Amino acid sequence: MTIKRVFVANRGEIAVRIIRAAHALGIEVVQGVSLADRDSMAPKLADRDVVIGPAQSKDSYLDVRTVVHAAKSTGCDALHPGYGFLSERAELARVCLEEGIIFVGPQAQVIEDLGDKLRAREIAEGSGIASVPGSGHIESPAAALVAANEIGFPVVMKASAGGGGRGMFVARSSDDITESFERASGEALEAFGDGTLYLERYIENARHVEVQIAGDGQGNAVHFGERDCSVQRRYQKVVEEAPCVLMSDPLRKKLHKAAVKLVSSLNYSNVGTVEFLFDVERDEFYFIEVNTRIQVEHPVTEQVTGYDLVQMQFRLAAQEENALPAQEAISISRHAIECRLNAEDAYNNFAPSPGRITEWGPSQGAGIRVDSHCYTGYLVPPFYDSMIGKIVVTGPDRLSTVHRLQTALADFRIEGLVCNLPLLREIVAHPDFEGNNFHTRWLEQDMLPAFELAKK
Amino acid sequence: MAKPTSDDIKTLIEQFEQSDWKEVHVKTDSFELYLSENPKSSGPPSAVTPQLTAATSQTIDSADTIPSAAEPTPEASKAILPEGMTAVTAPNLGTFYSAPKPGAPPYVEVGQNVSAETEVCLIEVMKLFTPVKAGVSGVVREICVSDGQMVEYEQLLVVIEPS
Repeated sequence: MTIKRVFVANRGEIAVRIIRAAHALGIEVVQGVSLADRDSMAPKLADRDVVIGPAQSKDSYLDVRTVVHAAKSTGCDALHPGYGFLSERAELARVCLEEGIIFVGPQAQVIEDLGDKLRAREIAEGSGIASVPGSGHIESPAAALVAANEIGFPVVMKASAGGGGRGMFVARSSDDITESFERASGEALEAFGDGTLYLERYIENARHVEVQIAGDGQGNAVHFGERDCSVQRRYQKVVEEAPCVLMSDPLRKKLHKAAVKLVSSLNYSNVGTVEFLFDVERDEFYFIEVNTRIQVEHPVTEQVTGYDLVQMQFRLAAQEENALPAQEAISISRHAIECRLNAEDAYNNFAPSPGRITEWGPSQGAGIRVDSHCYTGYLVPPFYDSMIGKIVVTGPDRLSTVHRLQTALADFRIEGLVCNLPLLREIVAHPDFEGNNFHTRWLEQDMLPAFELAKK
Repeated sequence: MAKPTSDDIKTLIEQFEQSDWKEVHVKTDSFELYLSENPKSSGPPSAVTPQLTAATSQTIDSADTIPSAAEPTPEASKAILPEGMTAVTAPNLGTFYSAPKPGAPPYVEVGQNVSAETEVCLIEVMKLFTPVKAGVSGVVREICVSDGQMVEYEQLLVVIEPS
C-alpha cells in the first residue's frame, strides 16, 4: 500500500506541518479550506485546495461527509485529520475505511474505546496502570472519612455533577473532613443542583507527563520518551518540554513500559500519546487518558529524538515495512522546550484578539524552530483556535535551553495584533521556571496573579 | 490615524457575513462602521466591549498597504458575473448533477425560463442529494458546471438573467 495523494482536513500550523511532511515523502496534497482560510498559508503550499464550506467549522472542518466526499472527488487515497476538529472522531476513521481511503490515524474502534473515559480507565487498569485513587459517591461526612482513610490524606472533594474547579475542597486531615464536606457539598448543590460528592487523592505537587508512542497495528509499539507539559492554564498547555528531567530513571523506565504495554494490548496503529499525572512527592504516576492523534507539542519529541513523527504517521498508515523503528534505535540526547503563541490578550483576561499581522518576525538561529502558518499581512480570522504558532528551542541540557528560549522570545517580533508573547517571556524568565520548580497549578496559582499585579 | 481602505471594509463585511455574529461595531478616531443582521437595528449601543473595539480597530489602522485577505478566486466568485445577472451558487461542497438521474433530461437548459422555485440541479454529498433552486425568476443564461463534476462551497453553478 502506498499513499499518492493525501487530503488535509485541518487548518493553521498543523496543516502546513502535514503538507511539508507529505511533500518530503513525495505525496501530493489536496488542502480542504473553509471560506475564511482561502488565503491562508496551507492552500498556498498544497498542490490543490478546495473550499469545503463556510467559515463556521461545524459546516466545514467538522463535517465528516463533506470532508470525505471532497477527498474522494479529488482523487485522494489518504486523509490526514491533524489535531482537534475531526481527529478523534471514530466516525471519520470508519467512513474513510468504507470509502477506501487510508485514514492517517488509529483504527476506528481504538479511537472509540480510548475516547470513552471510563473504558479508557479500564483498559489502562488492564495493563496494570492505576488512575488517581478515588471513591464512589459520598453522601455524608462519615462516609467521606471512611473513604479518605482508605485513599490516604490529603484528599480533594469534588462535585460528581460538576467540573471546572467548582465545588472542590481539600481536606488535609480527618479534622478537616466535616467542614470540607459541608462546603463542597453546599457549593456543588448551588452550582449544579446536586450536592453529591466523590473523593480523590489530592496531589500537591503534580506534573503532567505524557509518553509519545507509535504502533504498527500488529501489536508492536515503541515509545519516544516523555514530555513534561505542566505549565497550563485552564487545562490548556502553554509550555511543553522533553524530557521530564525531574523524573528518576527507574520511574521513567516504568512509565515508558506502561505506555507501550497499554497501546500494544490494543494493536494500536499510528502515533499517539498516553497522558499521566506524576506525583512528585510519592514518586508515582497515574493514568489520565490517551490521545489518538498527533499532538500540538510533538515537535519537542522530534527535536530530542531526531524522528519526524508526521512522516512516520504516513509511513505507518501506508503499512510500509520498517515504518516503526526499533526501540533500541530511539535515544534521547538533548532538551527541547516549546511555547505556544496565541492571539490572546494576557493583560485582558486572555480575550481572543484576532486581526491582521502587520509584521511577522520569528526568531532565528541555532536550535530554534518555529512552526507557524503566519506571515506579514496575514489576517488571523476570528472563527478558530487562537494559536498562531509554536516556538521550539533545542539545546544540550535544560538550563542552556531555557536561556536560549529567553533570547529567542526576546527576539520574536509580532506587530498588528495582541498576542501572549509578553506572558511567555515572563514565564520562561521566572526563577521557578528556570529552576524547574513548578507544578500543574503553578501558572494559575502563583505566576499569573503576580504577573497581573505587576502590570498595574 | 490612517483611514481604512475599501478593501478593508469589504473584508470586514465578508467576515461578518460568514460569521454567526449578530452585529459588529468598529470605531477609531476617524472612522466608524456598524454592521447588523437586523434590518431594523437602530445602530450601535453606546457601551461597546473595549477589547473588541481595540482589536478590530488595530486591524484597520495598519492595513493600508496590505492586500485584502479575502480576495475572491474566480471559480467561487460572484464578482465575474456580467452586470444584471444573478448567480446560483453551491450551498455546499459536493457532486453537481444537472439531471434527476443518469440519462434523464436536464433540470434546466440555457435559454429556459425559470421561477424562483424551479430546481436547477442536484448536489450530492455521500449519497445525500440536495436540490438547488433558482431563487429568482428569469432566463437561464449559462450553466457553468458539467454533470458529475465536484463543486466547491459557493462555486458558481448557474447564471440567471432576472426578468
